[in-house]
Amino acid sequence: MTIALMLFGLFGLILINVPIAVALAAVAVAAMVLTQGTWILPNVALVMYDGATKFPLLAIPMFILAGAIMNATGISARLIAFASALLGFVRGGLSMVNIGASLFFAEISGSAVADVAALGSILIPAMRKKGYPRAFAAAVTSSAATLAVIIPPSIPMILYAVMSDSSVVQLFVAGIVPGLLGGIGMMAMAYWFARRHNYPVEETFQLARLRRTFKEAFWAFALPVIILGGIFGGFVTATEGGGLAVLAALVLGGLVYRELDWKHLKDSVIEGGVQTSVVMLLVAASALVGVYLTEQQLPQQLAQWILSITDNRYAVLGLLNIFFLVIGLFLHSAAAIILVVPIVMPLVNAVGIDPVHFGLVVTLNLGIGQQTPPVASVLITACSIAKANVWEVSKVNIYFIGVLFAVLMLVTYVPAVPMTLVDIFYR
Amino acid sequence: MIERLRRYFERLMEAIVVVIVVALALIIVAAVIFRLMGNSFSWYDEVASVLLAWLTYYGAALAAAKRAHIGFEGIVEAVPKRWGLFMVVVAEAVVIGFFAILAWTGWEVLQVLAGDTLVSLPQVSVQITQSVIPIGAVLFIAGQLLSLPEVWRRVKAGEKLHSEVPDSLPVEPQDVVAAEIEALHEGKRERRP
Repeated sequence: MTIALMLFGLFGLILINVPIAVALAAVAVAAMVLTQGTWILPNVALVMYDGATKFPLLAIPMFILAGAIMNATGISARLIAFASALLGFVRGGLSMVNIGASLFFAEISGSAVADVAALGSILIPAMRKKGYPRAFAAAVTSSAATLAVIIPPSIPMILYAVMSDSSVVQLFVAGIVPGLLGGIGMMAMAYWFARRHNYPVEETFQLARLRRTFKEAFWAFALPVIILGGIFGGFVTATEGGGLAVLAALVLGGLVYRELDWKHLKDSVIEGGVQTSVVMLLVAASALVGVYLTEQQLPQQLAQWILSITDNRYAVLGLLNIFFLVIGLFLHSAAAIILVVPIVMPLVNAVGIDPVHFGLVVTLNLGIGQQTPPVASVLITACSIAKANVWEVSKVNIYFIGVLFAVLMLVTYVPAVPMTLVDIFYR
Repeated sequence: MIERLRRYFERLMEAIVVVIVVALALIIVAAVIFRLMGNSFSWYDEVASVLLAWLTYYGAALAAAKRAHIGFEGIVEAVPKRWGLFMVVVAEAVVIGFFAILAWTGWEVLQVLAGDTLVSLPQVSVQITQSVIPIGAVLFIAGQLLSLPEVWRRVKAGEKLHSEVPDSLPVEPQDVVAAEIEALHEGKRERRP
């Protein structure tokens, strides 16, 4: 009964535009007071504090900061120059460049919105100038950026790891193969579009140019190799890897490229701080809800109820996929992970789904959610850079979402795709 | 007037957020370097976690002033103005009410915690680290109130609540970057001014 009231209250508050974090916390406080009385109130302050001190989540501000510094050092231009020398000779070259640069950039920044902002603001106008339709330019940029969430480092993966108590490093490793498959799939789709609509070729292939641009971008490639190598090799934790990334980005920007733009950097630090605290407030609020839910055993009851219908692992995965796809339509991905993952984990464990495997399913699924309006952070950023209508872009984007969906199905039903590397290195 | 106050408030919160983020980065980097040299800090995890909690609440107050918290504006923007304004009133009351409770309970808890210290740094009182809850809650209310008039104006005027791209989104000037890419291709490297 209280739970029904809670859900009702939660939806009501969210619909009248109470921030989701506050809606969660307020409903949890109301439920606690209703069931236990006002003596419980001091716990609210304690839990909201403890909930915000989760050490592994420190990786989030660190990777945001590293990405921001990289972005303030002219690295995006170097990545694009290299990608263009490598892929520009193909028909529809600039869309290939867009996807390729996105794949590289994803290894530095953990967030798809950052990816779209950094690359889209350069590539979308460039594509427009070459005669690509506005909607296509926005769609490619937007969907390719979503790959950033499954290629390490990834902020949604860090969040998932904390909410589900699984290994960040293993999640990172599991994302590599699906991320590459997604990139290849998108390039194939872009090529198909390019053939059909006769999009232009960028330039002829020149080995000398490739070598020159590679030399310029060399440190940009070396950095993720060093940092991810450190994390995968077990020399540093994910959080420390984030710290190293910050240091390395500063050295790269300040000493090697000497192009650090301080004003830009300061703005990025503030923006990163705000993004982090927005997510962290959600995490703290969910800790409050967690206290209540644990007491009521709701996640366990949910697990039992679903298990009484089916205990087939693939059927449960299918159900969860549908559930997350619907959630992704309306919720920001960080909010969805924080809200839903703790509730479904007992079910996931009960049917024997590997939490790392499931993490990839969730991240990819919510990545698709960033592409589907009404709530679609990445798509909307791309559309506003391109000054294109969201629905027009979606008509093209649906093909690229199709690619993401195919990867999702592959990841869901062929666990070997994400898990082989994890099995080889960690089990 | 209020708009000016809001800007001062944002400026102050931004300064605090920058200091915390920089401190966190310094501590983490230093800790990694010292650990790899076989000499780790005992206080590193605890202090870094405390700073994360501080970043959470000071940053959340800044996000309140910028109205950057994740929410769902669709309905308020879609319904008739009168309803929209009514929703704003209820929503603001819930937010301010919650943080008022948090500020009060946070203050109560501080009294209880008198005498407790951090585990790894006995000279630091938990009262200092936990002070972020009542202070952060009061700052959140301040940020919320200072940004309320603009929200009210927008709903009344039937405008969108959010500009769709955050204003601090780093967007590079096109031609500068295009010239830079060109130069990279030709093997010249131009420094930006």
